[in-house]
Amino acid sequence: MKDVKNKSYPRKKLAIVISTLVILCFLQISLNSYAESPTDNVSNDFFWLWRFLGRLHPIAVHFPVSLLLFAALLELFTLKNFDAPSRIGIRLLLAAGTIAAIISAIMGLLLVKEGGYELQASNIHQWTGIGTAFFSAVTWFLSNSIHKKNKRSLINLYRVLLFISAIGVAIAGHFGASLTHGKDYITATIPWSDNYDKSINSKFDVSALKNDTTPLTKQQSIELNVKVRAIFAHNCYKCHGPEKIKGDLRLDRRDMIFKGGENGPVVIPGDPAASDLYRRITLPSNHEDAMPSKGKKLSDEDIAVINFWIQKGAPWPDSSEKSIFRLAPLAPRNPTLPIATENLKNPIDLWTNQYFSANKIIWPKVVDDNTFLRRISLDLVGLVPSGEELEKFAKDNRKNKREIWIRKLLNQKDDYTLHWLSFWNDALRNDYTGTGYITGGRRNITYWLFNAIKSNKSYDQFVKELLNPTDESNGFIEGIKWRGVVNASQRTEMQAAQNVSQVFLGLNLKCASCHNSFISDWKLTDAYAFANIFADTSLEINRCDKPTGKFTGARMLWKELGAIDSSAKREEKLAQLATNMVQASNGRFYRTIVNRIWAQLMGRGLIEPLDVMDNEAWSQDLLDWMAFNFQKNNSDIKELLFLITSSNTYQLPSVSFNDASKIISPQYVFKGRLRKRMSAEQFADAASTIITPIFYDSMSITYVDKKAVLEEIKKQKERQEKKKAEDKKKKKDKNKDKENIAREKKEKEKKERKMMAPKKLPPIIGAAFVRASLVNNNPFLISLGRPTRETVSTSRESQSNLLQALELTNGDRFNSMIQRGASIWKNKYITGDVIIKEIYQQALGRAATKSEYTIAKKLLGETPTPDAIEDLFWIILLLPEFQIIY
Amino acid sequence: MSSHWNRREFLKNSSTATLAALAAGAPLAGLLSGCNSTKINATADTVILLWMAGGMAHTDTFDPKRYTPFTKGMMANDVLSTFKSVPTALDDIYFSEGLESIGKVLNKGTAIRSYVAGDMGHILHSRHQYHWHTCYKPPQSVAAPHIGSWISKQLGPVNSVIPAFIDIGQRFSLGEGEELKAFHTAGFLGNEYGPFLIPDPSEGLESVKPPVGMDISRFEKRNQLYNELMNQGPLGELGSDYQKESMKRSMEQAYMLLKSPEATAFDLSKEPKENYDIYNTGKFGLGCLMAKRLTEKGARFITVTTEYEPFKNWDTHDNGHTRLADMKKQIDGPIAQLIKDLDQSGHLDRTLIILASEFSRDMMVEGRPDLKVQEQVNQPDIIDDIKNYGMHRHFTDGCSMLMFGGGIKKGYVYGKTADERPCKTIEKPIRIEQIHQTIYRALGIPEDTHYVIEKRPFYTTPDGLGRAEMDLFA
Repeated sequence: MKDVKNKSYPRKKLAIVISTLVILCFLQISLNSYAESPTDNVSNDFFWLWRFLGRLHPIAVHFPVSLLLFAALLELFTLKNFDAPSRIGIRLLLAAGTIAAIISAIMGLLLVKEGGYELQASNIHQWTGIGTAFFSAVTWFLSNSIHKKNKRSLINLYRVLLFISAIGVAIAGHFGASLTHGKDYITATIPWSDNYDKSINSKFDVSALKNDTTPLTKQQSIELNVKVRAIFAHNCYKCHGPEKIKGDLRLDRRDMIFKGGENGPVVIPGDPAASDLYRRITLPSNHEDAMPSKGKKLSDEDIAVINFWIQKGAPWPDSSEKSIFRLAPLAPRNPTLPIATENLKNPIDLWTNQYFSANKIIWPKVVDDNTFLRRISLDLVGLVPSGEELEKFAKDNRKNKREIWIRKLLNQKDDYTLHWLSFWNDALRNDYTGTGYITGGRRNITYWLFNAIKSNKSYDQFVKELLNPTDESNGFIEGIKWRGVVNASQRTEMQAAQNVSQVFLGLNLKCASCHNSFISDWKLTDAYAFANIFADTSLEINRCDKPTGKFTGARMLWKELGAIDSSAKREEKLAQLATNMVQASNGRFYRTIVNRIWAQLMGRGLIEPLDVMDNEAWSQDLLDWMAFNFQKNNSDIKELLFLITSSNTYQLPSVSFNDASKIISPQYVFKGRLRKRMSAEQFADAASTIITPIFYDSMSITYVDKKAVLEEIKKQKERQEKKKAEDKKKKKDKNKDKENIAREKKEKEKKERKMMAPKKLPPIIGAAFVRASLVNNNPFLISLGRPTRETVSTSRESQSNLLQALELTNGDRFNSMIQRGASIWKNKYITGDVIIKEIYQQALGRAATKSEYTIAKKLLGETPTPDAIEDLFWIILLLPEFQIIY
Repeated sequence: MSSHWNRREFLKNSSTATLAALAAGAPLAGLLSGCNSTKINATADTVILLWMAGGMAHTDTFDPKRYTPFTKGMMANDVLSTFKSVPTALDDIYFSEGLESIGKVLNKGTAIRSYVAGDMGHILHSRHQYHWHTCYKPPQSVAAPHIGSWISKQLGPVNSVIPAFIDIGQRFSLGEGEELKAFHTAGFLGNEYGPFLIPDPSEGLESVKPPVGMDISRFEKRNQLYNELMNQGPLGELGSDYQKESMKRSMEQAYMLLKSPEATAFDLSKEPKENYDIYNTGKFGLGCLMAKRLTEKGARFITVTTEYEPFKNWDTHDNGHTRLADMKKQIDGPIAQLIKDLDQSGHLDRTLIILASEFSRDMMVEGRPDLKVQEQVNQPDIIDDIKNYGMHRHFTDGCSMLMFGGGIKKGYVYGKTADERPCKTIEKPIRIEQIHQTIYRALGIPEDTHYVIEKRPFYTTPDGLGRAEMDLFA
């Protein structure tokens, strides 16, 4: 009898357990018919009791289930002696925990059907929960078998399952907690924690608008919407966003926000008072309905913004229609060229002609020879023309002499290269000194860059070699790595994604590399998918520097640009990226560079800012035509430069502005090239040309001669081999102490750093002076606007300031140059008259006027002192007429 | 349409992705869209930052703990302070030996003993210094401005001929020079708000004098002829433009500064000898003297540094005790005198003086007790050599700062660190964004001050979240 009873008891038990599990599975399957997706469809006809029980889930579970953990803990103490007195306690805990686990699994299924939870975390929680219930039930069954039937052989299996159940509790518990409270629930409460609950309050001056009854312009709607989205993103998305959908309300999408939550619509466009959302954010924070329920109350200003937004009809981009953010077409476009006229042959002029007639502008006369030569010399090779050249050009009678001279300048290969080197150094953030080199966290690409420019490498090939680089060209995508921990949005792969999209596509991915952008439609996953191309493995997505546990594959930013094999090695992904990027159908890629070159020459891009290629061009036809034909023409940059500079459009008189803001205003009308100020390098090189080299001393210079670089590499290799041999010898010596090892490590690191540092070699042989583009950054060049190149820089600041004026007024580098130059000129030109004639001719390309001559002569006299000459140099070089390119 | 909207609309199109404006040369700073909400009453006009570069150990300076004198064979873990404690002007508040003079003026300011430096992993001084000075952790996708540049941008100079942001004592030709340059910049605010650098205060006058070898009459004549030739030139026909205007304006400013009587503030030889001698403890002391003279003539933001050079000055990877004795000699007299002098001349009330360092040091803990990072200093458990006696590891969890004047409480101690190792902050932890906002608050700069760069708001403190610590104000 006893035997029978003993046998039947566990069977009964087993039957109960199995039937419970069957019910669980049944619920899981049948409830699926209620809601396909918990985010989209929360049915109101869901039976109230299920809903009630479902909501009990969090309370019902959290305590009893932890009994399983406690059971496992006690089990640890009985590992040596299974029959310890605590055994009875363990069994009780196990029984209670198992029952609780099963019940909570059922309730949990009911709750998840009710919805409001982010799918992925919810799935993990659901399945670990059900798994825990299952394993604990089996464990309980085994425990009973061991106890009742004395099957001691099952002890090990029982223990393994018990620990699995305990681990299951921990995992399920973790994901459950994230579901209820968000991932950073705990850390967010610690004020000095890096995760401290933050909220950006993008201030928005509503008061200025409140009384304005006119409807918003499109632009204003966009601004307002961005403000509102910023407020939502930082205060509401935590519970009403893609990760969690409390109250069935999502505030991050247009369709979701106007659908409303479980209690119906929350925003009634035009009527703040009737909008539940507005009611809740204005309630006192202790009110039951107040929102945000967990975070800080919104500031008065934010509330005012939302009020105003609803009042104005709650503008929001419609994802089914065109986005609120302008997205320029990706594809290339080849508009039909207007018909040539008798006077106009250059295609650029044909477009300009069309634009001028549409804007009722009459073609002005092109500039005179002097202005033209100075302009193209500075624009193409960065140098001022000498007096001789100006004279020769003036006397040149050939009809197409301007075109001939443009060609001539483009063929001055070294001059051309050393001018455009600065442009590319800025854009590719390539510098000879700077952060990162000290710890080997940065690479220099000057050698490659110099040769690429000099050989006029086609632009597609140029970019391919930067994206899928060799050791010589990898500095751009490798970025700058600082020692220590950096923000996830600044890891080098993300830097590459940001910089590549900015420089080559005129696209700002910086917002999206931290969170879904609210100034564009780019999403966090887009940024990570693009960054993954530059990564060895897939990067974990971080949102606002917090890991999300999610991953995404590797993708181009536009699927039209082709696929990237996510599982491929980094080199393969980079090769795919390079090919995809430069393909002819990537119109944006070619438009971006054409716009940049145009801006370099004309002082303003067809599109501004140059890095926002989604903005409208003042002549889309001209830009599209140039980009299309640039690509067709082997993306030859020199040909593009020729095409532009040989046009009448380029040769129009320069346009000046009193107010710089008008230059980039949307109302800008093109009337000709803008007046530009010399860059730091142009100014230094001009002074060096005219007076005496400004950089001549031991200042470190980066040299780019191939022979010398090869020699240096050879030397380095020799040194390495020598060191290797020494190391081998040393290894034999067994008495190496700790300090020795540390020292060697340090030396090795130092050597590696040296390899990475730019190669410092003597200046180019034969050059008249050291071009400023080759020297290390220094206070003189910085004050004149050379950027530090810590970040990508695609345009220069050219307004003067006090620090710059001080540098020129008493700075050592500039003043010692004019001092040296004065003695040289005194010996060379001797009389005041000759010196005045020469300086005016060489610096300004003209003779001094009578009154200018009188003033200068007053200073110099017949036989001037070096001091007087020095002062005249200073005066002339600081004249706006000298520094501005007309 | 209101001008406000036009401005915003305009800026939406103008905020470039590259910090600078147009290639043509738009005046960048003028184009930035900013936002100042409420006006705050300032309690200070001038800020002097006394920068203890390299990591100043709190337990050996302004927050001394139990003193254990050096003996051969001593246990490293027993050592909390390597100096005796000495009384200050406040009852029961002690400083470390060698800082008596500063202690005596503590009744004019506040000692903060609970600064918690940022966590940035494997320590690199220049990174923590970047964080301290910009409130942002490098690298950043846009160039973050130095606090002095923010102040210069928001308030401009006090006296128009004295540059608004003056940086005294740091050379950039030393180790980590490039990393130092990375934060000695106005960043996206534009060069105009960058630091006026005086690497050596004894040569400071050179920076504001006509070029070497040029007397004042020649200098004046040169400038006069410059103006004449500029006006005579055919430029008038070409019309005016903003580049030309800005060139003319800044050249005039430079000329004014170089020949103005205020320039004598840079001339330390004008200081009475007995006072000069008190300050003359080296470059730092003379920097304090220059700061005093500039403040009296109307400066906005001055920083004087003990100078950062890897393994030098406060960067004590060895001989911490003996080297600190020297460092204290450098700073104690000049800082106390600076406070006394400004107090006497009536400037202290409107001048906020801050003494700070990027982090502290400890003999055992590298990083924070609960977040240790890779150790960089080999510290034997038993000390036999005095070179191992000192605070050599980089400690971020409890650092000392001082604040004087400018509306700050007088005779106050803020926060507390534990009396036993780890001597970490246990009361009122204060972080860099609070420090910055406290400084801004004193100057009347609103908390939400920001500019839109690349279409994103860039605040003085990240996300505009920092709040001033009102408890520090009187």
